[in-house]
Amino acid sequence: MGTDPKEKEELSRTVARIQAGVLSIACGLIGGLGLFIMTVWLLLEDGPHVGSHLQLLSNYFIGYSVTWGGSLIGLFYGTLTGGILGWTVGYIYNKVAGIRQGKQTGT
Amino acid sequence: MTTQPVVIVGAGPAGLTTAYELGKNGLPSILLEAGKQVGGISQTVNYRDFRFDIGGHRFFSKVPTVNTLWEEILGEDFLLRPRISRIHYNNRFFEYPLKPTNALIGLGPVEALLVCFSYVKTKVFPGPDEKNFEQWVINRFGSRLYQIFFKTYTEKVWGISCTEISADWAAQRIKNLSLKEAVRNALFGAKNGKNREVVTSLIEQFHYPRLGPGMMWERCEELVAGFGSQTLKGIKVERIHHRNGQVRGVSGRSLSGDLVEFDGTRFVSTMPLRELIVAMDPQPPEKVVQAALGLRYRDYLTVVLIVKREDVFPDNWIYIHSPEVKMGRIQNYKNWSPSMVPAPSRTSLGLEYFLWDKDEEWTWSNERLIELGVRECAHLRLIHPREVEDGTVVRMKKAYPVYDQQYQDHVQTIRQYLATFSNFQTIGRNGLHRYNNQDHSMMTGVYAARNIMGLSHHDVWAVNTEKEYHEEGRMALPSAGDRMVPTQVQGAVDESLSGQEAIIQIVFAKLDPVALGVAVGVVTGLAIFAATAILLLKGGPVIGPRLSLLGHFLFGFNMTWGGALIGCLEGSLMGFSIGYAGAFIRNGSLRTYAKFRRWREETDRRRHLLDKV
Repeated sequence: MGTDPKEKEELSRTVARIQAGVLSIACGLIGGLGLFIMTVWLLLEDGPHVGSHLQLLSNYFIGYSVTWGGSLIGLFYGTLTGGILGWTVGYIYNKVAGIRQGKQTGT
Repeated sequence: MTTQPVVIVGAGPAGLTTAYELGKNGLPSILLEAGKQVGGISQTVNYRDFRFDIGGHRFFSKVPTVNTLWEEILGEDFLLRPRISRIHYNNRFFEYPLKPTNALIGLGPVEALLVCFSYVKTKVFPGPDEKNFEQWVINRFGSRLYQIFFKTYTEKVWGISCTEISADWAAQRIKNLSLKEAVRNALFGAKNGKNREVVTSLIEQFHYPRLGPGMMWERCEELVAGFGSQTLKGIKVERIHHRNGQVRGVSGRSLSGDLVEFDGTRFVSTMPLRELIVAMDPQPPEKVVQAALGLRYRDYLTVVLIVKREDVFPDNWIYIHSPEVKMGRIQNYKNWSPSMVPAPSRTSLGLEYFLWDKDEEWTWSNERLIELGVRECAHLRLIHPREVEDGTVVRMKKAYPVYDQQYQDHVQTIRQYLATFSNFQTIGRNGLHRYNNQDHSMMTGVYAARNIMGLSHHDVWAVNTEKEYHEEGRMALPSAGDRMVPTQVQGAVDESLSGQEAIIQIVFAKLDPVALGVAVGVVTGLAIFAATAILLLKGGPVIGPRLSLLGHFLFGFNMTWGGALIGCLEGSLMGFSIGYAGAFIRNGSLRTYAKFRRWREETDRRRHLLDKV
């Protein structure tokens, strides 16, 4: 029985699944720490109009400001938002990939 | 299980290994060896205390069972020796394995330029059909390199034109790797978890018995005798008597011409298939006889020269590509083991000639062959004729089973016939008509013994290719060719390999570009919509002046509910593109990495092509 040449060229026949929980944690950490570090960075730079643009995030994150206290609130919001976005991407990816794989295998 | 001795025809590596395995398990055997010495083609000939090997046998194996056997049999007399071999062409030496820089410098600027042109031409316009060995090599090295480094030597060894040798023959030796194999070798090492350095070291050094390969088999003969088995030398088996699908006995003649007969219940043969089928009594069907007669063998002759010089050259052997001489290789036995010569001031060289037994040279006297050898060595500027103080000749018939266009059909016919016998197995290089290495022949012996003992059922014909995996338990490739290792029919699952397979499946699992595109697209679209909607709901004199700058990138986007929907739609499209491209690039990168690894490994394997000729 011969092997299909295309099959021989396959590295993996598996379609990757994303672990939504893991992606959520990763994105949450990036989002939370990212916002925290950006806020702290601006605070350390100091100046008359420190973080006027970053301050605009307060439109979405109630209580956030470019202050030391705000950096902790930003950490919380960044983690929450990143986590939700990561989980959503993972969840939707898995659903769509599952549907498409089911169609390809005829199941 | 009866303890009647197992009758084994042939005391080469395969036959002796079978006897050794049986003996260890309390089952005696009778070995019938036609020659005066054990070891078959792996014997060591002793001439005035100069020992020489029939072809140069490196001991390295990737089969753990074989390595264990070697250590068991020989213990401390098993030396680890460095390997040096070069190519001699046009009165120059070239490094082996071939190195591009060394080869081009050695060939000189004009020839080097022509080699480069020829290589580039082949890469741009490769030959459409790789039907024969010549085309196969040209497509990989270019025609000039083929002419210089492959054509002459291959034709010397096999005695037929490279255009008559099947391309499969080369492909079997230099197997194309699948991407997965390349990645597995890169990630886990080419030898079942060992690293690349180990692979390299196996090529750069090898084990060798202190007094040549025959020492291994003479020691094995002693051990086998200790188990209560007998090795009878000088017994040429001429008839295999059988009835009702069972071999009943063998008969033949001793050196003195006496008729000898051996009955038994279990038989193993390492006889060349051609001789075996002709010896079957009653005779097999005509079709089987014709198939056997169609098998061809290449014969081999060594002219040994004793030279009055301490160092002639540092190599273990030299490939002789120069077309003006008949010899194919020169062995320098003292470089295999210093104990191969009785005095350090002397060197023994083995000039190897590959012949058909119908060739004129095969019938030449020893004196004439020695004279030819001296003349050719002098022509190659390796020695001066006056330095040669003595010489001898050893002829070895049927040293190499020939892989011509019909051999597979012939072997298949014979195999089907032999399968009708329930108490008879054929093993070894000539017993399977397979260009096996010594370790592979030994494995067929191990498996034959296990079959006899009823420990398991191994198909000694089902062998694996000489890929990087020689370990037992791998699945067999029925169509595979040579230099293979037998594998179990009901192969045990190699846990380390299945673990590696699982890791590769996970690490190299493809991201679905559409799915990732949809996921990122949905999230991006909803995020833009939500960001806009929140600001709209908050209201104010100027709504979202910064966010409205997105209008530069999202056509039609503004801080209105309509704009929010447009932002959602266009953001989704943009997110889809990013997600799709991300998955595509990630999958492509992994594939490119795998292809790069494969290219490197295949290139490295091709550099060792001559070892496999």
